Amino acid sequence: MSLMENIKMALSSLKAHKLRSVLTMLGIIIGVGAVIIVVAIGQGGEAVLKSQITGAGNTVELFYQPSEEELQANPSVLYEAAFTSEDIRMLETIPEVKQVVASSSEYSSIRYREQTGDSSVFGINQAYMDLNNLEIEEGQGFSEADFRSGRRAALISYSLQEKFFEGQSPIGEVIRIGNQPVEIIGVLAKPTGLFAFGSMDIYLPFNTWKMVFGKDDVTQMTLQATSADHIQAVAEKATFQLNQLHNTEDSYMVINMEEMAEGIGQITRIMTIIIGSIAGISLFVGGIGVMNIMLVSVTERTREIGIRMALGATRTQVLTQFLIEAIILTLIGGMIGILLGWGVSGIVASFAGWPSLISWQVVVGGIVFSMVIGIIFGLLPANKASKLDPIEALRYE
Amino acid sequence: MIELRDIRKTYTVGKEQIDVLKSIRLTIEEGEFTAIMGPSGSGKSTLMNIIGCLDKQTSGQYLLNGENISDYEDTALARVRNQSIGFVFQQFQLLPRLTALRNVELPMIYNGIGKRERLERAAEALRKVGLSDRMEHLPNALSGGQKQRVAIARAIVNQPQIILADEPTGALDTKTSISIMEQFVKLNEEGTTVVLVTHEPEIADYTNRTITVRDGEIVANDGRR
Ligand SMILES: Nc1ncnc2c1ncn2[C@@H]1O[C@H](COP(=O)(O)OP(=O)(O)OP(=O)(O)O)[C@@H](O)[C@H]1O
Ligand SMILES: [Mg+2]
Repeated sequence: MSLMENIKMALSSLKAHKLRSVLTMLGIIIGVGAVIIVVAIGQGGEAVLKSQITGAGNTVELFYQPSEEELQANPSVLYEAAFTSEDIRMLETIPEVKQVVASSSEYSSIRYREQTGDSSVFGINQAYMDLNNLEIEEGQGFSEADFRSGRRAALISYSLQEKFFEGQSPIGEVIRIGNQPVEIIGVLAKPTGLFAFGSMDIYLPFNTWKMVFGKDDVTQMTLQATSADHIQAVAEKATFQLNQLHNTEDSYMVINMEEMAEGIGQITRIMTIIIGSIAGISLFVGGIGVMNIMLVSVTERTREIGIRMALGATRTQVLTQFLIEAIILTLIGGMIGILLGWGVSGIVASFAGWPSLISWQVVVGGIVFSMVIGIIFGLLPANKASKLDPIEALRYE
Repeated sequence: MIELRDIRKTYTVGKEQIDVLKSIRLTIEEGEFTAIMGPSGSGKSTLMNIIGCLDKQTSGQYLLNGENISDYEDTALARVRNQSIGFVFQQFQLLPRLTALRNVELPMIYNGIGKRERLERAAEALRKVGLSDRMEHLPNALSGGQKQRVAIARAIVNQPQIILADEPTGALDTKTSISIMEQFVKLNEEGTTVVLVTHEPEIADYTNRTITVRDGEIVANDGRR
């Protein structure tokens, strides 16, 4: 009796007991579906987090952490700006640096006619605009001249526009930061994604920011290397020059984005393992469900087994028949589970605004795994069926 | 040719030993038409099951066509059942979810015959028992007599040498029983060895030989011509 014959027989027998077959599959469908969903969403989330951290790539963030001696010598050092525009000019001369992304921020009260509020006010340079991909919803962005001249122009966040202008166009309106007037020239697009909270933000060209707040601080500085290979060199040269210029010892450091991304990858991997093992347990339970229903089915079909044996089925053939039925059940269940997982993770991903990553490895793994479950949990019932005594089986009511 | 030498069958229930068959000696020649009679519980079915290789004797030898099959493995016995023996049961024993045609097809699946030939031969067997217009019916949609004829078609489809029928008319009325017995007579005339168990002398009258079993022993062995 060929394998094909066996498979056909199993299929017709499963078709003959549709409801039972579907119920048996349910555990596997849910189990495999859950595994696929968890892995897809986990990997998608990891990809998003990583790309958010490394930004457009090839960047290192500089930061300043004063040593004990410096703190003792000058306790107020923590409250002073770590970087100056002098630093920016110097860093720009490093050949491996493509651009220096600098920004300053200050929290300030703002006023528009009778309305007042508080907002973060960022002073940014051209590179910041490029790298952070600020999207303009309405109006226009800063021009090169705006950055150079320090034009009193501002971009506002979507939330700020909603709060102060209630859907009316703010372009050309003048808003006051403290007492300093600036003209709104553009509105930023509403941020998307699960973790995007609309905050009240104002962006100014860096030179404008200096005038508005009357200081020359740079609070955040990120260097973009010309290529990924140069990140290390950029980090070393920048920290060396900064420490030399400020006469400090190793107080200027870099956060390696790659490392952080790696760390996040590790976190999400651990999450995937945890949730994956929960899904694995549900698959195991699904397998036990298959076994239970197969065992019941063997009992229910005792007489059928007796008849088949009387007609010349060997014990091996009976075993194979039930085993193949179990494998087909779990296999079909697994495939439906993969489709289900694919659909659900697609829906979740579209809500969360990140990609759902289903690799072929996961699909193949899911199929193989459900087959293995079919074999493992089908073996006991199939073995039981093949061990039946034909005479007693024929007499079974 | 069936040859039983000192066949015994003993069941152990608790501490008690029940001798269901006590030293059966019996030879059935090829082409014979034999009835086995006897009171209920005398061991007729047990004897049939041993002849049909569904059951194994506790001791003694069973020779089929001169070959000692007493110590055959399960797999070899399954082969004998499949190719040399056809069973007909009182309770028909059809698979309820398969059509008449598919039921008849079954023994050939285990005989490794190709799909097309299987369907042709199954249809042919059903035609032979007069059921060519009921091939696609499920057993539920058939009368008792029709079910038994499907069972006969299934028993003969692998062209076995021996047909074993344990009370084949036990669940049928007199008229239907006659038509079933005519099928057996026809098969026997074509050369098949037929052994059947019955309680009814009228049924036994169709055969050439009656063996009477009582308490696990053969007490009468009448040949008739
Ligand atoms: N598995 C078993 N365990 C113990 N005793 C059994 C077993 N199978 C059959 N017997 C006993 O063997 C004896 C013969 O049974 P068998 O079925 O062969 O009788 P029978 O002649 O076919 O009876 P009937 O005419 O009622 O069908 C009975 O007494 C029965 O109780
Ligand atoms: Mg009986």
